[in-house]
Amino acid sequence: MNDRNIIALSRRGFLGTALGGIAALATQPSWAASKTLNVLSHKVHQTVLGADGGDLLADWKASNDADVSWTTFDSNPLQDRLFREASLGSTDYSVGYMIDNRPTSEIAALFEPLDDYLASDPIEDFQDIAPGLVDGMTVDGKLIGIPVRHATQGLFYNEELLQEAGIDAPPTTLEELVEQARKLTFTSSAGTPVVGLVLASDLAVFPVMFARAFGGDFITGDFQLMPDKDAMVKGLTVLREMFEAGALPRSYATTRNDDQVTWLQQGRAAFTVLPFARNAQLNNPEQSKYPGKIKAVEFPISAELKGKMPMSSIVEAWAMVIPKNAADKDLAWSFIKEVSSKRATLGMALNGNGPVRVSTYAEPDLVAKNPLAEVEAAVLANARGAFPPFPEAARAQGIMLEEVQLAVLGRKPVAEAVDAIVERVTPLMPA
Amino acid sequence: MRTRNLLAAIGKTVAVAAMLFWSLFPIAFIVMSSLKPGQDIFAVPPRYVFEPTFEHYVSLWQQWGAFFDGLLNSTIITAGATVIAIAGSTFAGYVYSRNSSRMLDASVLFLIVVRLIPPIVVTLPLFPIVNVLGLNDTHAIMMVLYATFFVSLGTVLMRTFIDQIPRELDEAAEIDGAGRLTVLRRVIVPLAAPGILAVAVFVVVFAWNEYLFAFIFTSTRAKTAPLVISEMIGSIDGVDWGILFAASTVQLAPVLLFVVFMNRYLVAGLTAGATKG
Repeated sequence: MNDRNIIALSRRGFLGTALGGIAALATQPSWAASKTLNVLSHKVHQTVLGADGGDLLADWKASNDADVSWTTFDSNPLQDRLFREASLGSTDYSVGYMIDNRPTSEIAALFEPLDDYLASDPIEDFQDIAPGLVDGMTVDGKLIGIPVRHATQGLFYNEELLQEAGIDAPPTTLEELVEQARKLTFTSSAGTPVVGLVLASDLAVFPVMFARAFGGDFITGDFQLMPDKDAMVKGLTVLREMFEAGALPRSYATTRNDDQVTWLQQGRAAFTVLPFARNAQLNNPEQSKYPGKIKAVEFPISAELKGKMPMSSIVEAWAMVIPKNAADKDLAWSFIKEVSSKRATLGMALNGNGPVRVSTYAEPDLVAKNPLAEVEAAVLANARGAFPPFPEAARAQGIMLEEVQLAVLGRKPVAEAVDAIVERVTPLMPA
Repeated sequence: MRTRNLLAAIGKTVAVAAMLFWSLFPIAFIVMSSLKPGQDIFAVPPRYVFEPTFEHYVSLWQQWGAFFDGLLNSTIITAGATVIAIAGSTFAGYVYSRNSSRMLDASVLFLIVVRLIPPIVVTLPLFPIVNVLGLNDTHAIMMVLYATFFVSLGTVLMRTFIDQIPRELDEAAEIDGAGRLTVLRRVIVPLAAPGILAVAVFVVVFAWNEYLFAFIFTSTRAKTAPLVISEMIGSIDGVDWGILFAASTVQLAPVLLFVVFMNRYLVAGLTAGATKG
């Protein structure tokens, strides 16, 4: 044993300092509130309700003598935590935020049916809330969540790059999109190598959008698996051909959602598909090299269907739910009513929320602030979820994405990949 | 011969340089990105010369107050877990070192097996129990969980370290009238301090960065910084990379400095008993 290693430690000095330090740090001030509503959400749900002078809940808090305590997580961890809390004997959380592709019958059974609350203590002009979003939160005939936010997919494009390539207007058909994306796979005048279209490969949204552009789908709302296989084959063939032509990135298999944003901001891609709500971020002058130049339109339908049927883009919605084991359900409903009011919906929309009320899109304040309000409202009218919730939905999505990647990368013929999706997903479908 | 030595030296230099690049580049990238203007973070080609800005740190302070609350919680929990783990490991290591029986030898194996169980297997069944006990979202439960997770490894480490301390020192102290606790306190602990510090480094690094336990067992009052950082990578409203890199730098700095400062004890602790015959 080396002398250098001998350290004089006194028990009192060591333990006393350590424990005293911990105790001092652990002593935090506490604030008493007459009533506290615990809410489990994503941070964005808290942020859009404002704070301090712009707190949209200020009046509600005053009239109910209540405060709101937010616990926030990212989307998937949030859903996991919400379902775990709702499975306990009791939970401190009276309101949770749920994504509309989660409530299977088993999950819905953990949450309070809201029909009676709605009948006895109605939400202001409830019919104004987009019916498709309400349907998404109706499980086994019971309404279990009140829609509060939606993210509807649109086609974003870099106007400056389009002009540089001699393109005057964004595409109105899928075929035009393919043509423009090929033309825009070039080196820009800034010296940046540009790819026509960037898409994440780990999200079902994109292949489903391409299938819908030909009138197809992955899984319909009434649980039909790929009712039109040819449409899916056509959609994936377009993606395959774009990859072959270099109009999709070579790194397609590892491209993620955040890459779509940074590639468009940096001028590395001309087109991408993202929720309209990303418009502010894409044009943020602190992050984007093309502030004000990134615009959006509806994702185009194929030429053969143009004018014959509307394009059904994908929408993902969030709703507020009340766990059955919650302590204060009346206060929870009161909160939900307030957040669903026309005033709060507009306030949240002005703070960047996707408004669930149709009338909000006509509000002059929103139109003035959000240049995409009109097109987003039009797209929302025909939008629906990527696929309905069912117990094996995550595995079904995983299988679909695996086969889509094989097809797009050219490791499997498209038709074979589509057949494989049907064969592998069929056993997972609800009876 | 001279040429061979030169080639060996060049080979070593290249290998060390490659290792350094491999280890340090991600850290350098994070720190540099936290100081770059937002537009330049993912610029193609990358910009290594730029005018540094602290705007992301200001934004982090203004927009993510919860991160700093999380840092405080991380500090409390890490400190508490470290003290508990050190105390448990030292007591247990002393017992294992100075006593021998079949049961004790078998229990060492058990300690190692316990350490091999994936944390997720333990955490989910624990959630309702912790909830019933009213310990969810408390600093105490996080300290206990982190300490428990490391006491097994710490005990094995401390036993190896204490094994090197001659038993004659214990006996000399006992002849002078010292009891077991006094021997531990006055003889063993000072001499085994490098081992204690090595255990501390392990626990601090683990507790400071841990995500899974924190995700399962905390909500608001004991929420740690890694959880808040995970929210910044959120999928709904997009990632503000500048703020994320600033938070990562702030999160990284204390533990990095701690490990660098403690490095020599860590090496001493890890190599304890390595040359024992």
